[in-house]
Amino acid sequence: MNVYLKNTLRFCIIILLQVLILNKITLRWWSEPGFPIFIPYVYPLFILLLPFETPVWALLIMGFILGTTVDSFMNTAGMHACATVLIAYLRTNVLSALLPRNLSEYAGQSPSIRSMSWMPFLVYSAFLIVLHHFVFFTIELWNVSNFGFLLLKILASSITSMLFIVVYLLLFTKQSTSRI
Amino acid sequence: MQIHKDVRNFILFIRRFFNLILFLGLEIICVVLIERTNTLQGNDIVSSANMVSGIVYKKQSDVVYYFGLRKMNDSLLNENVRLRKEIDQVRTLDTLKDSLVHRKIYPDDSSTHIVKYADYMYRTARVISNSTTASDNYITIDRGSKDGISKNMAVISGTGIVGRVEHVSAHYASVLSILSSKQKVSAKLKDGNNGYIIWDEKQPDVLIMTDVPQQAKVKKGDSVYTAIFSIFSPDILIGTVLKVETVKKNAMQLLYLQSSTNFHNLQYVYVIENKMITERKQLEDSTAKK
Repeated sequence: MNVYLKNTLRFCIIILLQVLILNKITLRWWSEPGFPIFIPYVYPLFILLLPFETPVWALLIMGFILGTTVDSFMNTAGMHACATVLIAYLRTNVLSALLPRNLSEYAGQSPSIRSMSWMPFLVYSAFLIVLHHFVFFTIELWNVSNFGFLLLKILASSITSMLFIVVYLLLFTKQSTSRI
Repeated sequence: MQIHKDVRNFILFIRRFFNLILFLGLEIICVVLIERTNTLQGNDIVSSANMVSGIVYKKQSDVVYYFGLRKMNDSLLNENVRLRKEIDQVRTLDTLKDSLVHRKIYPDDSSTHIVKYADYMYRTARVISNSTTASDNYITIDRGSKDGISKNMAVISGTGIVGRVEHVSAHYASVLSILSSKQKVSAKLKDGNNGYIIWDEKQPDVLIMTDVPQQAKVKKGDSVYTAIFSIFSPDILIGTVLKVETVKKNAMQLLYLQSSTNFHNLQYVYVIENKMITERKQLEDSTAKK
């Protein structure tokens, strides 16, 4: 499939998945009063899965569009966009730090479990997701004096989002060899 | 030649740091957008009242609507029972003794002793999107300016208060619910003592009432209603008292309330238009200037 068409489709699917399904799932690890409730965010995955050779300016602009779209659905003008643009900017640096070869040698491929193998891909996505959640929740809970609550919310929602992202990847990646 | 070289250097500089400049520019746009939402006018471009997200939410709600019909039916029946009880209470009042309160208002009557009821207009609306986890929670409804909705109207559900309209487009509106750090609602206890309702961003069912004077006697299970000077029509249930605490700093009481509205499954709401509010606002503003 054409790479542009594929990514446009993925953009729509991820936005609809996030807005129509995941936003309705309010999660909480324990039901004690001091414990934060949150929803899992998987939409940064769109930025994480763009092809290796995408130039930084294109990443930035797509990050901004993605962020504002999510913002407009959730009435959080600018907050998601701010966090998403940041991870779009840092994506290339993180990738080149993690991959053994130069980024230009991976022409025509996208970051995935198959092209990067499990561990580097998980480190790559976990780093950027935690960063995204950190920025987003810091902006959202700006005037909350309770710093422990903020950290707890970042930690809990990052881990939950990562679980959802792994599930998404397992569902939507083609298996190269059949396991039977 | 010098100018030419400068221009060339400038272009080289831009090309070298283009990504960084673009990054900073986009972040500045984001910060401006975030800042603008904190002002009173708010920001109508990036809100769920806009056309695209309104239509998506509406389509989803059309599908999910049928699954909730049974619950909605029950809640409507409960509300009918409550309203019937209130009607019965009014009927059994001794109208002869209290004639002043029940006197009719004639449009051409210039008498100053007339008791006038505030004019409230109720409109129904369907909830098409809802959130409870953010620190400012919004509800999107399927009515907009074409249906007569405008900014700052009060929104209630069948069981209690919900919030205030913040963004309006032609066919949709987004409502800032009381589960938000941005708004305070004036509330009163049964014995007439007033206070404010705030939310501590932690639990979507628990509201906090502050500034309740020490002498007010509050028990667990007491009801809290909206006060007459809020944008809501008076005597709408807000919640029941869960826990009473005394703040030592200013000798006020802090009440934890169980919210009477269940924000998890809001299906339909009423938008209240207070026809007298502009007149009242003008009067209050002109008094404040003096």
